Amino acid sequence: MTLQPFLKEELLKLNSVCKDQADIFEMVYKEAFGKGYVSENFLTKIKEREASFPTGLKIGDYSVAIPHTDPEHVFEQFISVVTLQKPVSFYLMDDNTKKVDVRIVLLLGLNQPHTQLTVLQELMQIIQDQQKIEQLLHAENQRDVQAIFTRVEKISTKGEK
Amino acid sequence: MKKYTVLVACGAGIATSTVVCERVENLLKDNGINAEVVQCKIAEVASRQEGADLIVSTTILPTTYSIPALSATSYITGIGMEALDQKIIDALNKTLAN
Repeated sequence: MTLQPFLKEELLKLNSVCKDQADIFEMVYKEAFGKGYVSENFLTKIKEREASFPTGLKIGDYSVAIPHTDPEHVFEQFISVVTLQKPVSFYLMDDNTKKVDVRIVLLLGLNQPHTQLTVLQELMQIIQDQQKIEQLLHAENQRDVQAIFTRVEKISTKGEK
Repeated sequence: MKKYTVLVACGAGIATSTVVCERVENLLKDNGINAEVVQCKIAEVASRQEGADLIVSTTILPTTYSIPALSATSYITGIGMEALDQKIIDALNKTLAN
């Protein structure tokens, strides 16, 4: 249940129509800044960060992007879930010469390194699970998203039970 | 026994590097490798590489470094995790051989 507090209703943007990355960032920023979760600089910073260190991840049939930026621009932590009607292209996290078409964007507002490890591990568990990704794409409301995130078990990292 | 320093970096030093840190810490522990794993921003790597043995990064490396560097996106996508485990161990063993 660790992810629950991070999933704020106003930051779940399901079946969105966005033409590009900037569109997605602006949509999330508008809500997050309105609620006081992020600083005024957040939008500029997240765009800059994505341009120099992209976050597209090529996974199976569906690729995912996890944009995020420096902790000082985040006042209250969140995970914004954006599903897109039409894919938006992102550069790959480990190769900025290649693009992937992304239909799920998990925009991370985090400011506590290491402490919310469980949260991130659960997030990775979702990213790595094709079935969960598909469920997320079909999610229609907050309840659907919460349900997908609720049934996540901790990712198996070596040395853990 | 030599104590290694491994830098784990991502763009913001906050999200993906956190997951990678945990994985690397456990990997080294399980293999009896004495190492300190340091989480940082990629921009800090250049100044921290002195005295460190290996860079494990989830982002594009903006420059070339004097110590070996590995890309760790496998740990995020779940594809090719074991192969990356082996690469990390090999890279550290190679350091020792030199």
